[in-house]
Amino acid sequence: MTAWARRRTPLLGAFGVRVLLWLLVELWVLNVADLLLTRYSLSLGFATESNGVMDYFFRSGTVPTVVFKLGIVTVGTLLLWRLRHYRTALFAAALLTAVFAAVVAYQALWVLSF
Amino acid sequence: MPESVTGAGDTPATPGGGRPAVEAGESRGASGAAPPPRVAVPLSSGAEAKPHPSEARALLLTALVLLAGVALGAAGFFVERGMSTWRPEVTRTASGWRVVQTHRLPLGGLALGGDDLVWGCGPSIVLMDLSSGRLKLLGPGPASRTTWDPAASQRYVVWFEAAARNAGEASAWVYDSATRRRSQLATLGDVLSLPSASGSRAAWCTTTQGGGPGIVAVDIRSGEQLSVAPEYGVPIMDGDLVTWPTRTGPTGMPAAWALVDLARDRRWSLVPSAALSNALFLGYDLSGRTLVWGETDPASGRGRVVAQNVDDGVASVVAEVSDGATLTSAPSIDGDLVVWAETLAAATGSRVMGRRLGGGPSFLVRDVDGRVLSTVAGGDTVAWLARRGQTTFIETAQAPR
Repeated sequence: MTAWARRRTPLLGAFGVRVLLWLLVELWVLNVADLLLTRYSLSLGFATESNGVMDYFFRSGTVPTVVFKLGIVTVGTLLLWRLRHYRTALFAAALLTAVFAAVVAYQALWVLSF
Repeated sequence: MPESVTGAGDTPATPGGGRPAVEAGESRGASGAAPPPRVAVPLSSGAEAKPHPSEARALLLTALVLLAGVALGAAGFFVERGMSTWRPEVTRTASGWRVVQTHRLPLGGLALGGDDLVWGCGPSIVLMDLSSGRLKLLGPGPASRTTWDPAASQRYVVWFEAAARNAGEASAWVYDSATRRRSQLATLGDVLSLPSASGSRAAWCTTTQGGGPGIVAVDIRSGEQLSVAPEYGVPIMDGDLVTWPTRTGPTGMPAAWALVDLARDRRWSLVPSAALSNALFLGYDLSGRTLVWGETDPASGRGRVVAQNVDDGVASVVAEVSDGATLTSAPSIDGDLVVWAETLAAATGSRVMGRRLGGGPSFLVRDVDGRVLSTVAGGDTVAWLARRGQTTFIETAQAPR
């Protein structure tokens, strides 16, 4: 994989690595915000979890939900950080951060509108 | 990216902790003055040393990514909001609010509880905070496609949701305005009546486990159900009292009212007094120990609003219309305030009227440019649902003291 990636993917400079680090930090924080907003929305009784996997964990309880949600994103961010020398990692992190930001913004506005 | 070659930017401009490079031919011996250390040129790039990566620029770039995502999410939220078919046009008037239907789905099922006005709009149950005019969509949930008209008490809004009108199974939902939470209250069989809510209780008629109809009361806080009567009826409750009309004739006028006091576990009947003969029954309401109803006699052109005490049966005519004027909606009562709507013989519109049972004549609440379909009283607030052409609208006003 690494050899393939090295052949296919342009390498990332120090500045890019720095950007990637901040994106991953943002991604992790947004993930926590997503978890809190989803939990609050569900507790209001107006929202339903459309992600089947997360729905299962939300039904299982708070601790399994927190462990899974934070765990999976932490593993993902660590994986991206391990691949930090490849530009693809930066693009993936940027895309994920933008998507998470969109989801969190939507949820925050929804909660505020109540 | 400003820098793309791995490691180039990591090379420090000064050697730092690294050992200084030594020029060829220089002696490493201790004799003689050692030349000043020189800065080594990185061999990998062969170019000038690059500046340290800008932390501020990195943060700015990530902030832009974040902003792009936030903009996308906000745009999605507002687009979805703009496409909603339940959101009416809300304007503040001199004495209250005016809510006008903006899509093809008419407004209906008006209820007033505390500081909240609730109505139905197609399958949607919508709540408006009367102090701010803020709207909230209460239902239906994602699993339901249809709802029935809601009921409201000071704190709770209760309504039914189902997958379809004839699904044979529905669920009762409640919205708590104190905690702003929506939750399922109960499951029921066929919906045989709309819900009625008072205090922390609700009542309705549904099919029981035996298959027959039954009136049940539900404690909203605990969800505990209580069988009020194993029979069909369209109940209205206020406090501990539940009432429903029985033995209705072809005009809809009941021959008697069934009354159940939940606190005293007592049931009795009340024969309506001061009733017009062959009158069409418009509807009824209950507040405290007073029952009010409206009736209209098409033959004589008379219409009447009657109030009757449920304990001693003493009835009084609250209002009577004649000479071409007609009652257009069932009366509503809250405390000592009774409100109803009537049309005038000469006028194209209608008017909402009120009267306090404590004394004094009836008074005009508001002239309405359209036909009033229903009125509701809550405290000193009066709300009415009216139609003008194809457009339905709701207005509120304060009743004079």
